Amino acid sequence: MNHGGDALLDVSHLQKRYTSSGTLAIEDVTLDVRRAEFVSIVGPSGCGKTTLLKTICGLLHPTGGSVVLDGKLVTSPPPEMVLVFQDYGRSLFPWLTVEGNVAFPLKKKNLSRADKARAIAESLRAVNLEGFAKHYPWQLSGGMQQRVAIARAVAFSPEILLLDEPFASVDALTRAELEDLTLSLRDALGITMLLVTHDIDEAVYLSDRVFVLSPPPSVVVRSFDVPLGRGRDQERTRSEPVFLELRNEIHHLIGRPRPEAAGAALSS
Amino acid sequence: MRDASLPAKRLYWGTRAQRNALGIGVALLLLVLWETVARVKGSVYLPPVTTVAKTFFQEWFSAQFRDQAIPSLYRMLAGYAAASVLGVTLGVLIGAYRRLFRLLDPILQFLRAIPPSAIIPVGILLIGIGDAMKIVVITFGAFWPILINAADGARNVPSERLDTARIFGVGAADQLLSVTLPSAMPGIFAGLRTGLSIAFIMIVVSEMIGSTNGLGYYILQSQRTFAIPEMYAGIVLLAILGYCLNAGFLAVEHRVLAWHHGQSARAV
Repeated sequence: MNHGGDALLDVSHLQKRYTSSGTLAIEDVTLDVRRAEFVSIVGPSGCGKTTLLKTICGLLHPTGGSVVLDGKLVTSPPPEMVLVFQDYGRSLFPWLTVEGNVAFPLKKKNLSRADKARAIAESLRAVNLEGFAKHYPWQLSGGMQQRVAIARAVAFSPEILLLDEPFASVDALTRAELEDLTLSLRDALGITMLLVTHDIDEAVYLSDRVFVLSPPPSVVVRSFDVPLGRGRDQERTRSEPVFLELRNEIHHLIGRPRPEAAGAALSS
Repeated sequence: MRDASLPAKRLYWGTRAQRNALGIGVALLLLVLWETVARVKGSVYLPPVTTVAKTFFQEWFSAQFRDQAIPSLYRMLAGYAAASVLGVTLGVLIGAYRRLFRLLDPILQFLRAIPPSAIIPVGILLIGIGDAMKIVVITFGAFWPILINAADGARNVPSERLDTARIFGVGAADQLLSVTLPSAMPGIFAGLRTGLSIAFIMIVVSEMIGSTNGLGYYILQSQRTFAIPEMYAGIVLLAILGYCLNAGFLAVEHRVLAWHHGQSARAV
């Protein structure tokens, strides 16, 4: 089922070996993300999901395979892609206000003062943080801080947003809020989303497709289409039979030991 | 059943004003004690407070201040400024670049172990007993704590912050200035505070050993010529100057690190 447009991100037989220890974090990962699609990668904790995202983003060099974004090989962080980290405390800049943080990606863009102010205001509005521009991030709650991180990413006008377990550090209620916020960002701004999570329900709720990753050395065990359509709702969607079937199937799959056929990525 | 409630135990005695008054009261009591003992015993080595006070006003509200105190302050501040600029620059660089650190570490470990006073004879031989020698000695002394703390601060920048800057297309030099340096500020200021104390000690020592003016020279010379009240007046002036410098430093730190103090307070 084609949920989006043409392919935006193509990850092909990606391999990543840690240079310090020589251990293989990622053995063979192949996945793709189409324009305006919401794709999740789900897997147990410690399966190198952060390493995968950092390699896709160009922060790390793959030891095998390739990452192609919009037809161009990724060798360093491209301007069309932003990665939002799980730990907002460590990624936001505490010496800058919310406004200052959101303005940071705009430094290189040579915008006029008016345009800059507009971009900042729009980014804050997109995450419902208008009025908090003059606050410092550490004065805000965890969920709000993560929203600042997202606003900062959005201000860079990326085509694709990579999210590394972005809601793992907030409480369950805030998590639901942020999940819906991310969906609305995709709908309103057309930003493609690639989200990594250990939460199966979250993956199914948010995505058009879900890739299941094995423990390291990681391979894609299987990918699932999520036939739930747009306009999702925390209560309604999560109680639909299709939702429950799918999340159970994935849950069962993750519980199983790694399949014998290494490197084979099967689509459902 | 007996009432088990106890009166709440107060952490400190009295109000803040009462505690301050008590502190001042104790200090005054000691002064009175000093005065009494000095008058009763009549030792030439311990003149009464009133005599020292009279000498203090006599000396320091005259040309002596310009002749002795100003040179000391000038040399100290010049040396401290040089140590700060060199220490912060080199410190941040070796903190940020592991390779540079490994290259320089053996030399630095050896040099920093030398007590700065031991350098004075070298300074006298190579530079003489003018202003330059004292400034160099002070720079040498104050440099080390500034370097080490700056390096520490720069080394401990959360990787997520630097990665975020890379993702936003910020180059290496700009990363150093816009991310590493602000992150390292709390560490840098810790080093600067220690460096200030050392600079203050070194100006006195270097002036006692090789100088023809300055407060260190004045105090030693007073001792040698048995101008005992003058000797104490010099020490009291040093105490006041030291206090003022420290207060000034704290005022600057309070402004520059306002974000850090706010963040730490929040963390509690």
